[in-house]
Amino acid sequence: MENNFEYQPSDHEAEKASNSYLMSLIALIAGMPLPIINLIASLIFFIGNRKGTYFVRWHCTQALLSQFSLLFINSFGFWWTLSIMFGPETISSKYIAYIITMLIFNISEFIATIYSAIQTRKGIHVKWFFYGNLTNLICKA
Amino acid sequence: MKKIIFQFVVLVALFFGLWFALKSINWMSVFKIEKLTDDTEIKIGKTVWDLYKKTEKENKEEKAVIAIDSIVDRICSKNNINRETIKVHIIIKDDINAFAMPGGHLVVYSGLITASDNPDELAGVLAHEISHIELGHVMKKLIKEVGLSVLISMTSGNSGGETIKQVSKILSSSAFDRKLEKEADISAVEYLINANINPEPLAEFLYKLAENKKDETSYESWLSTHPDSKKRAEYILAYSKNKLKNPQPALSDTSWKILKENAAD
Repeated sequence: MENNFEYQPSDHEAEKASNSYLMSLIALIAGMPLPIINLIASLIFFIGNRKGTYFVRWHCTQALLSQFSLLFINSFGFWWTLSIMFGPETISSKYIAYIITMLIFNISEFIATIYSAIQTRKGIHVKWFFYGNLTNLICKA
Repeated sequence: MKKIIFQFVVLVALFFGLWFALKSINWMSVFKIEKLTDDTEIKIGKTVWDLYKKTEKENKEEKAVIAIDSIVDRICSKNNINRETIKVHIIIKDDINAFAMPGGHLVVYSGLITASDNPDELAGVLAHEISHIELGHVMKKLIKEVGLSVLISMTSGNSGGETIKQVSKILSSSAFDRKLEKEADISAVEYLINANINPEPLAEFLYKLAENKKDETSYESWLSTHPDSKKRAEYILAYSKNKLKNPQPALSDTSWKILKENAAD
């Protein structure tokens, strides 16, 4: 994570940017059983702020993008679990290993999201590994 | 851009690396999850069969057993199936039925033998049931219907006769998933083709089941466990079309006559 941004955001901007992470954090908890909820929540917030200032838009985009990879990981785990419960699949070490990996990624994202929410609230820019660069590519000033 | 791709690859590699590393740990034993082994299946099969044979009359007439064994031998040897794992039993009963039990027990009712118009029809039904055994469908069905813990408790002798009766009832009179039925049909056609037996009579037999559905109750047994007979007959015919040039009957006329005469003795 890096902390450089082009300008010093105002308090109002910092609050909004921080909210984008809080939004995805709440959605992450609510969306555990149904991963698509995370994405929808972040998407609504992203659309709502697409006319916001650069700092706000940038962080909304990063929060949204970070949801995508979790969406794939969690959806796969979700359907795998369903097919074990109701379908022909049986529980295996491979499945348990996947669920643990999924949890580790979810927890890491959870921690990174809380950290980003706190830092952006203070007006400090937080750039994530991979997602930060991707956001730079998509979100122009 | 290169940096983004590189970071993406790192993230993906991290995910799969972690998954593969964690996969090497035997989580099933860490969490003490009960797992079904071949040994468990054999034990369950023995328990169910032991009780089942007490309630039904098995035909051990050598002439009939040899004839039916020869069909099963032919299907097994041409399909690399270990013949030792399939145990065929003829049960004297008028219902038209055949079903697979855990542990490779294949139960054939004498009613099925007498209702078959030719040995190829019977071979088709046998190939279908052998497919269920070979594809592991029997245990999948039982896990779904009665649950793994009940099955495991059967092997330790903790479950009562009622549970075992219920299990054998499920096996003889409830249907498999449609998906599993289709898998067994397709695999049965392959078995028959490899054994140079015409698969078409199996389709004809299914048509016969569908047509006799309303009139004859004896047809209901295999029908209740095998719905959608007409549809199945159609895809069996489509799948087996032009695959065999010179099929040989599953049994010679003499052996077939002997089997029919001795089936219900």
